[in-house]
Amino acid sequence: MDEITTVFVTESREQLAALEDALLQLEGSPEDNDILNAVFRSAHTIKGGAGVVECNFIVSFTHVVENVLDRLRNGEIKLNGDLVALLLACSDHIGNLLDVLAAGTPAPDADLAAEGSALLNRLQRDWLEKGSGGDAPSSTPPSARDEPLHSSGGGEVETDCWHISLRFGPDVLRNGMDPLAFLRYLTSIGRIVLLETIADSMPNADEMNAESCYLGFEISFASTADKASIERVFDFVRDDCTLHILPPHSKLSDYVALMSQLPEDPMRLGEILVRVGALTQAELDDGLRKQQAPPENDSADSAPQMPLGEILVEQKVVSPELVDAAIIKQKQVNDKRAAEARLIRIPADKLDKLIDLVGELVIAGASVNLLATNTGIGELIEATSLTGRLVESIRDAALQLRMVQIGETFNRFTRVVRDVSRELGKDIELSISGGDTELDKSMVEKIGDPLMHLVRNAMDHGIEAPDVRVANGKPARGRLELNAFHDSGSIIIEVADDGGGLNRDRIMAKAVERGLIQPGQVLTDAEIYNLIFEAGFSTAEQVSNLSGRGVGMDVVRRNIQSLRGTVEVSSTVGQGSRFAIRLPLTLAIIDGFLVGVGRSAYVIPLDSVVECIELTRDSNGRDYINLRGEVLPFVRLRELFEFRGEAPARQNVVVVQYAGLKAGIVVDSLMGEFQTVIKPLGTIFHHVKGIGGSTILGSGEVALILDVQALIQRCTAHETQRAEQPASIR
Amino acid sequence: MIGFARLLEIQPAHMKTIFLVDDSATILLSISGILTKAGYGVEKASNAADALKKFQSGVKVDLLITDLNMPGMNGIDFIKEVRKLPNYRFMPILFLTTESQQSKKAEAKAAGASGWIVKPASADELLNTIKLVMR
Repeated sequence: MDEITTVFVTESREQLAALEDALLQLEGSPEDNDILNAVFRSAHTIKGGAGVVECNFIVSFTHVVENVLDRLRNGEIKLNGDLVALLLACSDHIGNLLDVLAAGTPAPDADLAAEGSALLNRLQRDWLEKGSGGDAPSSTPPSARDEPLHSSGGGEVETDCWHISLRFGPDVLRNGMDPLAFLRYLTSIGRIVLLETIADSMPNADEMNAESCYLGFEISFASTADKASIERVFDFVRDDCTLHILPPHSKLSDYVALMSQLPEDPMRLGEILVRVGALTQAELDDGLRKQQAPPENDSADSAPQMPLGEILVEQKVVSPELVDAAIIKQKQVNDKRAAEARLIRIPADKLDKLIDLVGELVIAGASVNLLATNTGIGELIEATSLTGRLVESIRDAALQLRMVQIGETFNRFTRVVRDVSRELGKDIELSISGGDTELDKSMVEKIGDPLMHLVRNAMDHGIEAPDVRVANGKPARGRLELNAFHDSGSIIIEVADDGGGLNRDRIMAKAVERGLIQPGQVLTDAEIYNLIFEAGFSTAEQVSNLSGRGVGMDVVRRNIQSLRGTVEVSSTVGQGSRFAIRLPLTLAIIDGFLVGVGRSAYVIPLDSVVECIELTRDSNGRDYINLRGEVLPFVRLRELFEFRGEAPARQNVVVVQYAGLKAGIVVDSLMGEFQTVIKPLGTIFHHVKGIGGSTILGSGEVALILDVQALIQRCTAHETQRAEQPASIR
Repeated sequence: MIGFARLLEIQPAHMKTIFLVDDSATILLSISGILTKAGYGVEKASNAADALKKFQSGVKVDLLITDLNMPGMNGIDFIKEVRKLPNYRFMPILFLTTESQQSKKAEAKAAGASGWIVKPASADELLNTIKLVMR
């Protein structure tokens, strides 16, 4: 694909998303002209772009859609659910056509083409012909335009040239137009054979206004262009000039009619016409004689010739649509749209490359910093620390480039919720909040599928059928919420419904049946809810089209975990359930807190660090401390990672927090903040709990990044079993 | 860095600059490509508000080409605003339109446009039209 096509495809996909969005809004408020205009504009922009990249199958399809939208905009047809559904289908079809274009295929395949013509037929039948009263489409100019020129009487004039009579109005110059430029433009579509300047309206020198134009031209013009093209040359001055065009081999009577219409004396004009070669003297004489002859001789011939001038005049008449146009004038500024339009498009891989390089720069910077500190030269240390700060800013700015708002992903669900609720026969309203929350682009791409699954599950299994809801004293209309917000260095994305909630007993029964738990086993609510994420688990009594095949929730959890995220469930029977997906802000570089145990260094993500305190001696032997009246369980890294040798006299506790839980991590030394470029660990380390990745220190050594979530779980849930199974990584 | 960027903006005296305003990236890219090849300097903006800001800062422009149907301020209001600025009262203005928007032509001309270009235009049509109105 060339550059323009790539831009076109990207832009059109955005326009389609906007179109779909606006259509859905429009369903709620069909009278809103701003939204209607936005819909129209989207279709119009796609069609315009398709014309530029010469993709005819998109132009022709979108053209019909645009016509329907135009009628809608002009109030000729009314919007209803059917039309919205049809237009949404059209929008999908345009998306498919874009795929065809993007794939480089010259035309859509038979299936797609059939789908397209089916849609076009429906548009044509139901929305373009209906209510129009059978009148011809106004865009087609009346074909009668040229007819009088061929049906009029008199002998044909012997010339192969067009004849153009042009009189510029006095205001042409004042309106910024140069008469000469039009003659020059005329030569781009043909050849001026002869030209006579008419200065008859030029007043005496003392009356003359230097800013007014008094000129006219009689032009003999050789061209293969059609009349409309020649007229178009003078389009910009149509209101400021009189223009008469006679095609080659026009009837003599047409010339006679022309002469009578021009302001100058017919006799003098006749001479001019002879001079420019339009007429011979004999023809002129013949014509003038005919004009004086009684009209009844050839009334059949002369009748149609007279309207020539009228037709020309008519063509200059300002179209009555002007009034409509003024009414439809769009008013409202949509700030967000305008902001979007200011975006610069760059390929994602260029950005990834930049992030990679910044990562390397951060590592190299740390190494320089270390060397500088070793030299002890104050100026050098100062200079490197300035560089360090700048690198940090560059890192933040570069990462910011990858951040996108989640709103776009959320908005996709408006359509999903609408379609699925229709399919299920449920009435469900979607409420979105926090659409402006930003997260890493690669995460936005990967979170779509899990979200889709959760949303569909909530609609299918969560929200009850309207009659059940009413029987339970709830409003018939179900409510689904999508929320996004920041929470201590993470992003939380919530999918919440006001349905029946998770059924503890059914989950237990199913889990026993599936052999996931032992009968009679006692579990907390959270543990029970987490069972639904086990592979092969499904409680839906009937497998529906949408969900309930039991392959979903474990995949959801796996996908989220692959983004270093977690998913939590909370549920109240009868009131609904809430799935909270917690994701890290970014995948590439984090602010870390460097700690030491023995001779090794570890990184704790700074976002999760709350405070650091000294481990008092009297807490030796216990696995918790009293933190200002609160019990804080902790884990000793020295024990966890099986370090040999004695612990130093002074140890520190790093208090970390994750998802509302606090715990301590006991380390030997605190080494301060450190920009951490996350490098993944190889697959053989996957089973190791408590380690999230690795990074390279300025000295070139490898430091492991602690997985705070796993450590907290270890402290809190399995506190009592801690000593039994120390994980081993060394 | 800023100084260098300014240096790049300085063009030879004979080079005419055309300011292009359209919300469609496809149109911006295709038209600016044609204009650049034809030896014009091109300034671009994707909406009227941004373009107005540049005009208010006194950018040197020999011709303005603007779309009519844009989100935010529409092309006709934009043309009116530009005409209010003393430096651009006599600058030729062309607007982009389609056959289906005939009715807009009169409205745009009344707002102060010099002429129009029917989309999609061939390179020749575009350049000829520009020559027609540009001084």
